Amino acid sequence: MVDSWLDQPVSTLRIEVARICAPLAVLGFMSSRLQHADEWIGNGGFRVPDLDGDWRQPIFVPALDSWAAWLVAAVLVVSGIACVLGIKTRWAAFVFAACLAFVALSDRLAAYTVSKLSPAVMLAVAFGGAGSRWSVDAYLDRKRRGGEEPSRARQPSGAVRFLQLLPVVMYSASGIAKVRGDWLHDPLVLWSHIHDSYQTLVSFALGSVLPSWAWTALQACVLAFEVLAPLWFGFSRTRTAAFVFGVGMHVMIGLMFGPVRWLALLMITLLVSGYLPDGILEWRGRASKVAPSLLE
Amino acid sequence: MSAVARPPSSWPFRGSAALRVLAALYLAGVWLDGTGTGIPARILPRAPNYFLQVAALFPRSAVASIDYRAEAFVCRERAWREIDTRPYFPIDRDDKENRFDRVMHFFRENRKTMNALDAYLVERHDAGEAEDGIQGRIGGVRFLSLRIPIPPPGSRLERTVRRPLSAYPDDERTFFYHTPSSRLRERCGLAGEDAR
Repeated sequence: MVDSWLDQPVSTLRIEVARICAPLAVLGFMSSRLQHADEWIGNGGFRVPDLDGDWRQPIFVPALDSWAAWLVAAVLVVSGIACVLGIKTRWAAFVFAACLAFVALSDRLAAYTVSKLSPAVMLAVAFGGAGSRWSVDAYLDRKRRGGEEPSRARQPSGAVRFLQLLPVVMYSASGIAKVRGDWLHDPLVLWSHIHDSYQTLVSFALGSVLPSWAWTALQACVLAFEVLAPLWFGFSRTRTAAFVFGVGMHVMIGLMFGPVRWLALLMITLLVSGYLPDGILEWRGRASKVAPSLLE
Repeated sequence: MSAVARPPSSWPFRGSAALRVLAALYLAGVWLDGTGTGIPARILPRAPNYFLQVAALFPRSAVASIDYRAEAFVCRERAWREIDTRPYFPIDRDDKENRFDRVMHFFRENRKTMNALDAYLVERHDAGEAEDGIQGRIGGVRFLSLRIPIPPPGSRLERTVRRPLSAYPDDERTFFYHTPSSRLRERCGLAGEDAR
C-alpha cells in the first residue's frame, strides 16, 4: 500500500515549487548572516571554544580564515540562486544542501530551525529530479529537442511524498511537545510569547486589542491543528481545509514574530509544494484533468 | 492518467529502496525527537541528531521577557558601566537571535565559554574598533539577564524596545558571570587594590 502510494504519479510542478521557493526562504533567513560571513563562520567574530563533547555543541568546527568564510558564503548564495533558476539543478541543490549543513554545524549560535531543516529539504529537491519544468535546464533541453516539449506533467516522486510528510510529521511532533509542555494547562502560552524582541507591529496591535479569551482560542486552534495534523492531511475531505489553515497559521506567525518569518515562508513552501490542490497548481490545465486528489 | 518520461535531471537513485529507508528514518527521527522521547539522542552521534531537532517549537509559556546584557569595568573610573555588545555581534543585532543572546542562552553556565567571551569583549573594546558606549580601557566584564515581567492580558501594552540597563530595577537582573577580580586588577594595572 505504501509502495503504491509512493509510486503514484504526482504533478512535477510540486518539486519545482520547492526548488524555487525553498532556497528563496532559506537565503532570506541567511541574508543577515551572509552579510557578516567573517563573524559568522570565520575568525572575525566570537567563537565558542571546543567544549570536548558538551551536549550543547554538536560538533566543534574551527573558525575559517576570512577568505574561506567569504568563499563558503559565495558558494552558498550562487548554488541557492542556481537552484532557484534551475541551472544544473541537481548539482546546485546538492552543493546548496552541503553548504547549509556546514554552516549549521559551524555556528551553533546563529543556527535555528531553518538551518537544520533546510539541508533535508534541498536533498529532497536534488534527489527529486527538480528542474524539469520552469527552469533554465528545461529551456535548454527543449532547445536541444528542437522545440519539442516532452510530456512531464506527472510522474512518481518519492521526494514529493517526503516533502508532503515532512510538515505533517513536524506538526504532529510539535503538537505532542506542546501537550507535554504548557499548552493544556496554561491558557495564555501564545500571549506570553509576544513581549520580547520578536514582537512586531502586528503582534503589538493584536496584543493591544484582543481579549484574553481570544488568545486562548487561537492557542486551542493551533494545538488541535498540530496534534491532529496526520488526520487533517490524511483524509481527502479535510486536506484542503488543513492546507488553508496551515498557510494562514504560518502567515500569522510570520507577521507576529519578526525573525520567524523565514521559517514561516519555508513551511508555507512545504505546504504549497505538497498540498496546493492540483487544479490550482496546474493552472494552465495540463494535469488538472487527471488529478482528483493528491494522496489517493 | 499520463505516466510520462523522466525529466532530464532525474536522479539514478530516485525511488530506490535505500533512499526511501533513509527518508523514513529521518522522518521518524524528527518525530521521536520532537515528541521528547529522547531516543534519537541516545542512539545517534550528536551531529546527525542535531539536524533532527526541528519540531519542538515553543512548547512552554514564557515566564518573563528575557534579555541579556553586559557591563564592563572601566579602569579609569573603577566602576561598572553598561557596554553595548551589539557592535561586536552584528548579525541580527537588535533581536534575540543575536549571537550574544544565543551564547548567553546556551552557554551562560559554561565557564570556558564565558571566559572566552570575556576575553573577546575586552580585546575588541580595547582595540577601539566600535562605539560601544564606553570610553577608555576596560578590565573585565560581567554578564546578566534581565527578566522583564509579562503584563497580564487586558493591561496597557508597551511596545518592546531596548532600554538602557539603568531603566530596569535590581530585582529584574540576574548576574551569572564576572571577570575574576585578580584578572581585573591585572588588566587595569591595579595591583594590590580592590577592583570590585
